[in-house]
Amino acid sequence: MMAILEVTDLKKSFGELEVLKKITFSVNKNDVIAVLGASGSGKSTMLRSLVHLETIDGGTIRVSGNDLVKDGMYSKPQDIKRITSNMGMVFQQFNLFPHLTVKENLELAPRMHKRESVQQIEQRSKELLDKIGLSNRASAYPGTLSGGQKQRVAIARALMLNPEILLFDEPTSSLDPELTAEVLQVMKKLAEDQMTMIVVTHEIGFAKEVANKVVFMDGGEIVESGHPTELFQNPKHERTKAFLQRSLD
Amino acid sequence: MSIEYISSILTPMLEGAQVTVLLFIIAIVLSIPLGFLITLAVNSKIKLLSGLAHSYVYVMRGTPLLLQLLFICFGLPMLPVVGENLVLDRFVAACLGFILNYSAYFAEIFRGGLLAIDKGQYEAAQVLGLNKWQTTSKVILPQMFRIALPAVANESVTLVKDTALLYAVAVPELLHFAQTAVNRDFTILPFFIAGVIYLIMTLLLTLFFKWLEKRFTFA
Repeated sequence: MMAILEVTDLKKSFGELEVLKKITFSVNKNDVIAVLGASGSGKSTMLRSLVHLETIDGGTIRVSGNDLVKDGMYSKPQDIKRITSNMGMVFQQFNLFPHLTVKENLELAPRMHKRESVQQIEQRSKELLDKIGLSNRASAYPGTLSGGQKQRVAIARALMLNPEILLFDEPTSSLDPELTAEVLQVMKKLAEDQMTMIVVTHEIGFAKEVANKVVFMDGGEIVESGHPTELFQNPKHERTKAFLQRSLD
Repeated sequence: MSIEYISSILTPMLEGAQVTVLLFIIAIVLSIPLGFLITLAVNSKIKLLSGLAHSYVYVMRGTPLLLQLLFICFGLPMLPVVGENLVLDRFVAACLGFILNYSAYFAEIFRGGLLAIDKGQYEAAQVLGLNKWQTTSKVILPQMFRIALPAVANESVTLVKDTALLYAVAVPELLHFAQTAVNRDFTILPFFIAGVIYLIMTLLLTLFFKWLEKRFTFA
């Protein structure tokens, strides 16, 4: 099986602080990878560097056979844009455009890219709104939606560009517990549709149930990774054990 | 106080009010875009440009508008060598002063609007593959203008009242005709009438901006 994302020896520092120390992992098609770890473990920075929201200091990121960055050397700007366009991103704070309606949020980027006809774009936004159960809110502004609805719209917006991999940066961390479920439900549906996903999360339940691989990070390193049942039942490292202990309390 | 008297002083005062309105329109129509360009210059990565824009805003906001008007109307012509080419029509000179001064204030208002936009908006735009121009025109500017709207409204009301500074550079406008009538007829009534006319202008303006704010509320 060919990896669609390969990360090798990723390094990143903020000043003196080393936030990523030689991170290496790979993602196969249809993988759902849950990345766990305490705040400050570097998991968000790792995720953000995959779409060039953070610039890394060293290492290689290879997406579908193309080098986004090789041994710390980035590709040309237009190549970076092309390569990162294979990936969609869902943020903790949703980052919907508040001045645009739900439908306009979905359609803005595809309309700008002009790769498809307006009819095709509208057709897909309709389908996706249906999929996330928000067809009736197409003309609503984000300000009138609940947090869970906002995040579902953000997921649909990312899907509009048909990404090969969808990245989630703590997608439920700013939601009330009762709203978390509806977002996880949509993500679960995506996993069933064979979407490749990397999910930075605190939701151990989701990791157990949906992920086929769990990565545990601490202090800028991947401490342990493996199949969820194995990692949750038999954590090998003390740090993993301690984290799971704390999370389950 | 007869109706005849009121209508006799009202005619020149309304003419003066036209000058007031004209100055207001010219100043607002030109200083808003100019202010926006200055905001862009302030935020520019080119150090020289940003430094110049900062100094411009500092000077324009740090000195009285009245001083700036007097400088343009009476000061520029006194400059050696070039001075005689800088004798402008008083009204044109005043417009210039207002545009230069107000553009600095609008620049600060727009800068504040930009600062208020969450960095997540830029990140979302980047991840969606929007280029810099698309991000600016479709995502950032609409939000910046919406955030800036109440402050722009406030500044516009101030501008209406500041037009009375034309009095100091002897361009006949609303206040000038009121003052003339007060001196000539020894009555305070023209001041009241002038006040009412200013109030009507600022009321209309306030209502307009309220409508704009409501029109662009995204909830």
